[in-house]
Order: sequence, then C-alpha cells, then structure tokens
Amino acid sequence: MAESSGKTLMDLISADPTPVPPQSTSSSASSTPSQPSPAAASAASHMHHPMSTKTTLGEKKSKRATLMQIQSDTISVAKAALNPVKANIMPQRQKQRKKPVSYTQLARSIHELAATLDQKSSQKQLVNHVFPKLAVYNSVDPSLAPSLLMLNQQCEDRNVQRYVYYYLARILSDTGLSPGGGIPTPNWDALADIDAGGGVTRADVVPRIVNQLTTEASNSEVEFHARRLQALKALTYSPSENSELLSKLYEIVFGLLDKVADVPHKRKKGVFGTKGGDKDSIIRSNLQYAAMSALRRLPLDPGNPVFLHRAAQGVSFADPVAVRHSLEILAELAARDPYTVAMTLGALQDILHLHDVLARVALARLCHGITRARSLDERPDIRAQFNSILYQLLLDPSERVCYEAILCILGKYDNSERHGTDERANGWYRLTREIMKLPEATSKDKSNKTKRPQPLIKLVMRRLESSFRSFSRPVLHAAARVVQEMGKSRAAAFAMGLEDIDESVHVNAFSDALDDAETNDSSHPEGIRRTSSISAGPGRNETIASLLASLMEVVRTTVACECVYVRGMVVKALIWMQSPHESLDELKSIIASELSDPAWPAALVNDVLLTLHARFKATPDMAVILLEIARIFATKVPGKIDADVLQLLWKTCLVGAGPDGKHTALEAVTIVLDLPPPQPGSMSGLTSIDRVSASDPKSALALQKLVQAAVWFLGENANYAASEYAWESATPPGTALMMLDADKMVAAASSRNPTLAGALTRLQRCAFSGSWEVRIVAIQALTTIAIRSGEPFRLQIYEFLYTLAEGGVQSQLSEMHLSNGEDQGVSGTGLGVLITPMLKVLDEMYLGQDELIKEIRHHDNANKEWKDEELKKLYETHERLLDFVSLFCYIPRAKYLPLGPISAKLIDTYRTKHNITASSGTTDPTVIATGISDLIYESTQPAPAASNASGLDDDLVNAWAANLGDDGLLGNNAPAMSRVNDFIAGGGTDAPDVDEENVFSRPSVGYDDMWAKTLLETNDQEEDDVRSGSSSPDSAGSVESSISSHFGGMNYPSLFSSKPSSQATIREEPPPPYSYSESQSRDSFENPMAGSGSRSYESDDDEPRKSTGTRFGTALYDFTAGGDDELNLTAEEELEIEYEVDGWFYVKKKRPGRDGKMAGLVPVLYVNQS
Amino acid sequence: MILAVLFANSVGNVLIERFNGVPAEERLTWRSFLVKLGAENLKGVKNEELLVACHKSVYIVYTMLGDVSIFLVGKDEYDELALAEAIFIITGAVKDICGKPPTERVFLDKYGRICLCLDEIVWNGLLENTDKDRIKRLIRLKPPSEF
Repeated sequence: MAESSGKTLMDLISADPTPVPPQSTSSSASSTPSQPSPAAASAASHMHHPMSTKTTLGEKKSKRATLMQIQSDTISVAKAALNPVKANIMPQRQKQRKKPVSYTQLARSIHELAATLDQKSSQKQLVNHVFPKLAVYNSVDPSLAPSLLMLNQQCEDRNVQRYVYYYLARILSDTGLSPGGGIPTPNWDALADIDAGGGVTRADVVPRIVNQLTTEASNSEVEFHARRLQALKALTYSPSENSELLSKLYEIVFGLLDKVADVPHKRKKGVFGTKGGDKDSIIRSNLQYAAMSALRRLPLDPGNPVFLHRAAQGVSFADPVAVRHSLEILAELAARDPYTVAMTLGALQDILHLHDVLARVALARLCHGITRARSLDERPDIRAQFNSILYQLLLDPSERVCYEAILCILGKYDNSERHGTDERANGWYRLTREIMKLPEATSKDKSNKTKRPQPLIKLVMRRLESSFRSFSRPVLHAAARVVQEMGKSRAAAFAMGLEDIDESVHVNAFSDALDDAETNDSSHPEGIRRTSSISAGPGRNETIASLLASLMEVVRTTVACECVYVRGMVVKALIWMQSPHESLDELKSIIASELSDPAWPAALVNDVLLTLHARFKATPDMAVILLEIARIFATKVPGKIDADVLQLLWKTCLVGAGPDGKHTALEAVTIVLDLPPPQPGSMSGLTSIDRVSASDPKSALALQKLVQAAVWFLGENANYAASEYAWESATPPGTALMMLDADKMVAAASSRNPTLAGALTRLQRCAFSGSWEVRIVAIQALTTIAIRSGEPFRLQIYEFLYTLAEGGVQSQLSEMHLSNGEDQGVSGTGLGVLITPMLKVLDEMYLGQDELIKEIRHHDNANKEWKDEELKKLYETHERLLDFVSLFCYIPRAKYLPLGPISAKLIDTYRTKHNITASSGTTDPTVIATGISDLIYESTQPAPAASNASGLDDDLVNAWAANLGDDGLLGNNAPAMSRVNDFIAGGGTDAPDVDEENVFSRPSVGYDDMWAKTLLETNDQEEDDVRSGSSSPDSAGSVESSISSHFGGMNYPSLFSSKPSSQATIREEPPPPYSYSESQSRDSFENPMAGSGSRSYESDDDEPRKSTGTRFGTALYDFTAGGDDELNLTAEEELEIEYEVDGWFYVKKKRPGRDGKMAGLVPVLYVNQS
Repeated sequence: MILAVLFANSVGNVLIERFNGVPAEERLTWRSFLVKLGAENLKGVKNEELLVACHKSVYIVYTMLGDVSIFLVGKDEYDELALAEAIFIITGAVKDICGKPPTERVFLDKYGRICLCLDEIVWNGLLENTDKDRIKRLIRLKPPSEF
C-alpha cells in the first residue's frame, strides 16, 4: 500500500504471545488531553494511539522515553529531532506488562537472522515473530533493505520471501514525507543525514531494490514465476513520479506481454478458465495476470497503440482478474477515445459470463462509453452491438452490475458540461422507450426464457422493486441511489421538454405480443424475495406512470429501514422523483418525521438540503415546493442545517419562483416566524411540520438564529416578493398624507398588496414577541421595508415604529405584552436607541415631503417658476436624504425619491439643467464623517460597468434592491455557494471529507469520546488552514457564527456599533458576506460614475438601457442554452459581461465553448460578477 | 478507488489502516469519522452484518467480525455494493486466517498474515484478488493458479 502501515495498540509487539486482555488499552483513548496545535494534530494523532498502547503494555515511561527506545542504538542522535509534540500527549497510563520488543530490537533481529539464514529456527523466528511485528510500524527503515535483499536472494522459505516482498514494497512506496499511520517511525532519511556514521537513506537503497526486483521480474525461469509476480507487484508500489522507474516498468510489462499475450491460447473452459489447463498455459495465464495487474497500476497511456493493443488483448486472457483489469483499462481509454477502442475490440459476449463482478461493471462502462460516442455515429452496427451487451447486463445476477448498467443507460456518467443534461434526458428516454431486443438466452435468467423483447423500464422496475425488499443495507442504499439517478434523468428529460415523455403511454405499446402471464414473471434471478403483486398488474395495461408509482410505493416503505443513511438516500430519491404537479403532502410528512429522528447526522441533513438545491436547478418550477420542504428543515433541525446553504436556497427559490410564485415563496420562508415557540420536551409535534422541535438549548439557539435570518431575509426581500417599490409606487402622489387613520391604512395596505401586508404583520409581531436579537433584526427589517415601499406601507411602519418608541403600542397590541415579558415603553422593548435613528430618517423624509408640498403649493398659488436656488436647495435635500437613507438599506439612487413622487419632476429639471447624473452624493460630508462611505464604496474600484447606473433595467434594479438579481452575493457567500456547486457538479467525489469535520463539530452530535473530539477539533482548524475557502470555518463550525456573519454585513454599521448588544460584536466582523454587502457593492457600482463626473446623463430614469461598460464575471453553475441566442455555460468559466436585459446578461466567453459559440445570453443568476 | 480500509477494535482503537489516495491531512478525519460511526452503530450488530453510510458520493461499508470492526471507504466504481463485495472477501480471509471470528488477541497474533492478505486483496486502492484459494496461495508465494 502506498501509504500503508499497520498500527496497533496491543501487545502485538510484546515478544511473547501469552494471552493478555487487550481491553486495557481502550481507556487511554479517552484520557488524552486536547491537542496542542492544529499543525501538530496530524502527527500527534499518529503518535497517540500506538504510544498509548505501549504504555498499556507496561512501560512506565514517558512517550519520549518510548521513542528513545525505538531509536536507541542505531539512531540515537535523532531523538530530539522527532516531533516534540509527543511529550504533551503521552497519556500516563501504566500497567505492568511484558516488555514489548522495540523497533530497534526487531531491526537487529532481522540483521542477525539474515546472517544466519541457514538455520531453520531463524526462518521460523522471522516468519512468526519478527516480520509480523515489524508490520505494525509506520514505515520500514531503509537500513533494513540490505538484509531484506539478502534474504530475498538467499532464503528458501517462501513465507519469509513473501514478507520480504511486502517490506521491500513498503520501502519503495514510502516517500518519507507522508505519515501513513501505524506506530510512528522517525523520518529515516533525516536520521541518516544526521548520523554521519554511515546512515542509510532511501535514496541509497531504492536503486538497489529496484534493480533486484526488475531482475527478478524479468527472470523467465518457470520455477521462479511466482516470485516474478511478487517482484512486479512490489515494483508497482513505487511512486509514479519516478519517470525512470516508470519507463522501466512499462518495459518489463510490455516485454512480459510480448511473450505471453500473443500466444494463441485455447478458449477457456468453465468459469475460471484455469482449471484443467496444461502447465504452460497456466504459467502463461499467471504471467498474463501479473502483467495486466501491473499495467492497471501504471498511468494510462491513451495515445499509445501498443498500450491499447495490449489492454485489448487482456480481454481474452484466461485469468479473470486479468480480464477485469483489461476491461477497466479499456473503459478508461474508451472515455477518451471511444472510436479507436471500439475498433480494436472484438466480440465481448464471453465476458458476460465472467465470474468477476467488477469485470462486468467495467464492461458496462466500456459499452456505455462506446455507445454514446459521437465519433461512432457512422457505425450504428458497432453501437448496436455494444448497446445490446449493455442491455443484457440489466439482467445480470449481481445488483452491482445491473445498477451500473442502469446508471449507464440513464446517462449518469456523461459529465461533459454541455451534454450532461442532454444525456440525462436521452437516458430517460432510452430507459422508458427502448426495448431489449431478443436477449441472448442465458440459463441464468428467467425472464430471458421468453425470448421476447422486453421494455427496459419494466426490467429495471422489477429489479429495483425486488431490491427494495432486500435485507441488505448496501443493496437498499444502492437501489435508492439508482432511483435518485432515475429522478435526475427524468427531471432532465422534463426540463429539456423532450417530446413523447407522456408517461401514461402503455409500456407494452412498444413491445407487442407480450404474453401477459410471462410479463408478470418476477425477473429477479436471485429472488431475495419475490416481488409482490404491486408489480404484477396486468402487463398490457402498465404505463410508465403506473410502474413508477408502484416503484415509489416500495421506495417509500424503505423509509422504515433502521439505517439512517439508507433513509437519507431514500429521501433524496423521493425528492428527485417528486414531480412538480404531484401532491407534496406525503413527501413532506416523510421528511418531517425523518428529521425528527435525532439519529440523522448533520452532514446527511445538509446533503438533503443540497439535494433540494440540485432539484431546484433541474426544475426551477419547483421552487415553491422545495421551499416548503426547506421550511421543514428550518423548523425541525435548525441546529443541524447549514444556515448559509438554507438561505441560499431561500434566495434562489424566491427568484426562481417567478412573479406568480413569489408570494407563496416568501410565505414559505417566513412561515418560520409564525411558528409557536418550541416547547421543550413536548413530543406531540414530532411529526407535524408546523411545530418546531428544538428541545435542547443548542438547537433552540440555532432556531433563534434561524428566525433572525428569516426576519432579515423578509426585510430584505419582502419588497421584491411583493413587487412593491417606492420608486414605482402606484399610489398617486399626495395620497399618503391624507390617510393618517391607522385602521384605514392597514386595510388599504392589505387590500393593495397582501404579500407585503402579511410580511409587515409578521415583522411587527417579531418586533414584539421575539427575543432581543430577533427584535433588533425585525426593527431593521421594518425600516428597510419602510424605506423601500411606497405609501401607505411606509406610513404604517412609521406609525408602528413611532408608537413602539413611545411605548404606546402596548394598548393596541396588548396580547403581545405578555410574551414580551418586559415593561412598557421604550425601555420596555429595549429598542429605543435603535428606533430613534430609524424614526429620524423617516421623520426627515416626511418633513422634506411636507416642505416640498408647501413649496409647491406656494409656487402654484403664486404661479411662480421655480428658481434655480430653490431647485438647488430641493436637490440638496434630496441628496442628503438619499445619503441618509442609504445608510439603512440599499436603494437605487437614480430612482429613489425620498421627497416623494412629486419631487421627481423638479429634481429632474434641476439635474438636466446642471448636467448632474442621477447618482451622486459620495462626497456628502455626513457620509464621509460617519465613515460609512468607505464601507459602502470601498469595493467600487473594480466596478467597470458603472457607466450607466441610471439606465438600468427596472427589474434588475428591483431585484438588486432585494439583493436577488445578482450573483455577486452568491459569490460573496462563497462557502455555501461552493458547497452547492460541488454538490451539483460532482457530488463531491474529489474532496469527500472536506466537510467531514462538520459532522463532529455539530453541537447536536453527542459523542463523548474526548479523545476523538480533541483530535477532531484540532483537525478542524488544521483543515481550514490547509484548504481555506473550501469550507468556511463559520458555516462549517456552527450555525451561530455562520448566521451571525450574515448580519455582519448588515445595514448600519456605524449607527449601532457602539451598542452593547450581541449584534454589535457581530457587526464588527469585517467581511460582509451576504446580500447586504451585495447591495453595497451594487450601490458602489453606481457611484463611481458620479465621482468620475460623467455628465452624460440626459434621459429619464425609467427608460431601461443597456449598460455599455464591460464587466467580468465567472459562471457559477453550468447552464444549458435553451435557445439560439442563449449561451451554454460551464461552471467557473470566465466571462465578459457586455450588458444586461431583463434578468439576462449578454456575455462573451474568452474562448468558444464546445458548441463553438462565443457569446450569448445567460441568466443573471448564473453569473458571479467580479 | 478504495480510499481506506480500516480495522478497529471494539473500543475504537485502530488496528490496521490502509489509505489510498487520501491526503495525509484528511486521514485523521476519516479515521475519526469511521471510528465514531462504528461506536454509534456497531453495538449489537451480528457478525458480518453489513452497515452502510455515505458522505456525498463517497461510500462507506462496515461490519463487525468478532471483536474487530472493519471499515471500507470507496468512491466511483467502489460504491456500496462493490465495497460490500470487498468487505466480504476481507472478512472471509480474516476468518480463514483466524479460524473463526477473531478475538482481538487472535487477530493480533495473526497480524502479519492479515497484512499480507490485505495486500493481496486491495492493491493500490483497487480490489485485486477475490478468490480465497488464490489469496491463500499468493500469501505463501505460490502462483495464483497452480498446475
């Protein structure tokens, strides 16, 4: 093994095998003190176990002492150079026990025994004691190599020899850098360097080892061939960076194949093909195996015809493992160059009967690779041939193979950016439409007896249904995964709008003349349990829909599986199979009851949440449905979910919901606020999704943070969802001030815009009944809405805030009083300090409006023209208010009219007169004085497209105001975003355990092994250090901090930063990661124009114009063009944004995509502007 | 790729581990994750009953054999089912060597042989030999098929 080493705690290394209860070692695990530093964690952990073992073995020694013994005689100098960490973590557990053999002793024994090989006892000693014990150590001292090589040459004993190969391989594979586990050993090379007296380094011995092994590997003596195999094997362990060795290896392997592969060999008989052969052919087959195994470990050589030729020859080898390797190599080659591979390959039918499961899996992939190759469009015959093999694999007795075939048919492995969705959609089409034509009669499978065409879908459904009745968890898990993949392909098919997707078509319409009785046969060859009657309806009347329904029925029952991971996979499958038009209730209740189970680890919960993202991406129509599901997560497991990811989902779904769904979407998000507070210990709500389960303090806290997030979200997005903006208010100017009666106002408001009215009601309630933090956020949210909304909403909020500040609201909302639990008045809500500036801004606005109306009347009455000074004064007020308002929330400066709609004309006149562009004010002294300008405009430098803020599209502006229209925010929220992208793109195969630490650091995970905890925590930090960016410590570590980071970017940094609330500290966090920062950057995006004094602004605000400046960005997701003018995107691709129209960017790529297109439209959401 | 093979005792101490293609800094995480998984789920599980877990698209199959728990982590072609196959071979080999589901003591006594077996079963992260007799022959330095 490349990084292998054994590690054991036990008395394995004690010289004498008298039974010793090993349990004594156990408690050492929990007694470890915390790790000193992340950097040391890795090393320390390696040390830790084995060392504690040793102590339990009875050495009353410190760790340092133990190590000293390991090294003592030969390497005494270096002990100080060893990780000094060890001393800290050495648990001082002692028990009198037999003294273990030290590494040094083992090493010495090897040297001695190698010298006295002639004695039988020496060999025995080596095999029984020395070598097994040496296996425990992390690495093998290169200085042992001479003795090992000597043993290799001289020893007769095969068992000794086998160990020698094992250790030689270990020396070869050890790069000297990576700790591989096991009882730690020093860095031998470093030691040898220190030890001037002739230390042996790896570099010294490796050439010798390689030499000897290559000689052996080329030895063609018959008697030697078993050793030849092992020598070749050992050689493959050397690191592949060594190009010299690599070419030597290629040489050996090809040389071997030259000799053994070309000999025309007899057809194998029987499954193994090796029984009953003559000696020559057996030896040949053994060597074929060795060569092919080695070839498999060597790097792929795609362009090399010899490589391909030899690999293809392997298919007909007698040794099943060799055939497997050969097929695996071919499958990989076929992924790159299907045409050549297809042309090289002969018939593959024989392999269908091969006993090796993985060989058949590789066969499925190989067939898939070839059948999907566009380069083979000209050769339908070849395609058909491989297709038929692939379809036959659906009947394979092994689930592994059958599922692989299904996944191949579904197009799972076609990950090429552009064709991904196409292939998926085609996969679904194939599965539902194609028929297995006249399968070769195999005696294995019952359904084959019919010799009739079988619709693939039926074969697959039956197989899956029977799998779901299995008792084996891996089978259940895999089956659920296959169903999930089916769902993905199906979603892709619907998304592509493939014609002929009608699922009510009778399956048998495609395969006539099916005998009813026979179609009802259970096709599952292993018959774990016979499928029930669910699948055995009258064959003729089965439709795809009915087949699916019956399958889903079985899938749902699998939720009863005791393994939480299986259930998790089932839930994911259900989410994927959920179609937008079906009832959601069942899925909702399943998820709700699932999530109530504390056994669900946080990582799994988040995985499901990410699945929702992926589902949304596949079917944006489902935004509302998905939000409803997401809501269950928020209420059921607030402590486990990653709030970043959840918020991202809220946001994307809200945008994706479209104009009609926005209201519902917002409701779904904010329903969180309507929930009754959690009842500790109450079990009644376990399955109800409308109840919160937050029984422990930590999840209650997390829930509160989530509520905070929801409130904030509501404030930021209510206007967007309600399509209510002050700058496009439908209310005629002047009406606002006439509606001072509160009741009338509320009535008017709710009749005009129920969405916003609903949001306001919720927020008002939160301003009272929530916790302190929630109330703060609610007030801020209300102010945001007040500023952004037209009348009567603004006035309604104004009145509310006013009364709140005065403390007079108590009488009106007396029922709230109780839950508040505090005194009346400003001090009662504790929000007075907060509210005052908010009221002030509104006051100022109303005051300004009042003044303006007075002025207008004055001018009208006197029939006077507006003088320039008057206009100037008005304009200055306008600008001042804009600046003031901008402190609270983002507003589009070009359009926003703090003085009310009637001021529009006058302001415009003034601007036109003085050639002023719509957005200015950065120089306003108040802004500068507060220092906020820095915060707001800091990121303006790059804003290259700032040239035309005022001409922005209405929708975009509004979306920006809601922080929705742009992915800048998503980019800012990189951890969540990258997690979503990772998940959607590849399911995270590449870095499987990046988030692994999340599992442990979740507060909700009870794990009382202190040892593991400490290790993990230190590892946490370490990992963050190592891979910054891949997983933010905040979001990974705790919900608390990750949410707080959202509020870090909130509106009024300087206004409240002195407040001694928790918010205050939170706000000090420097990077504002969430959408508010986005709005700031948006804001800034406009301002440079004013600063640069581009005075070109002439036209009126409402005319949407394309921005002419060029911006840059990167694609966040893959995007598949839906029309001619659209452009395919690949995630991460760099783009040049030309302009934007109605939620679309017109972008240019740096280089043409696969379709050859360079430029086109892409949704704004898919692009992260840089 | 079989990312990891790990043997642990009943209290979660690692007996043998083999990582393939896992960066050194991630191994610790995996080790702890697996040990924790075992601690939570392996109580009262029958010998060789297979348990499954997954993280993103990395699969984990694990089981109990005597006093020893065995974990396999894989990705890509080594999904749950392929890992189940591999773990079946590994448990078979361990049982063969130890004669029965091993106690920790027996396991340690046979430690060297088990390492050799494992070396034949999983080679550089890929499943190699699956046939019992063949493995037996190979660890005695005999050719895989005999005449």
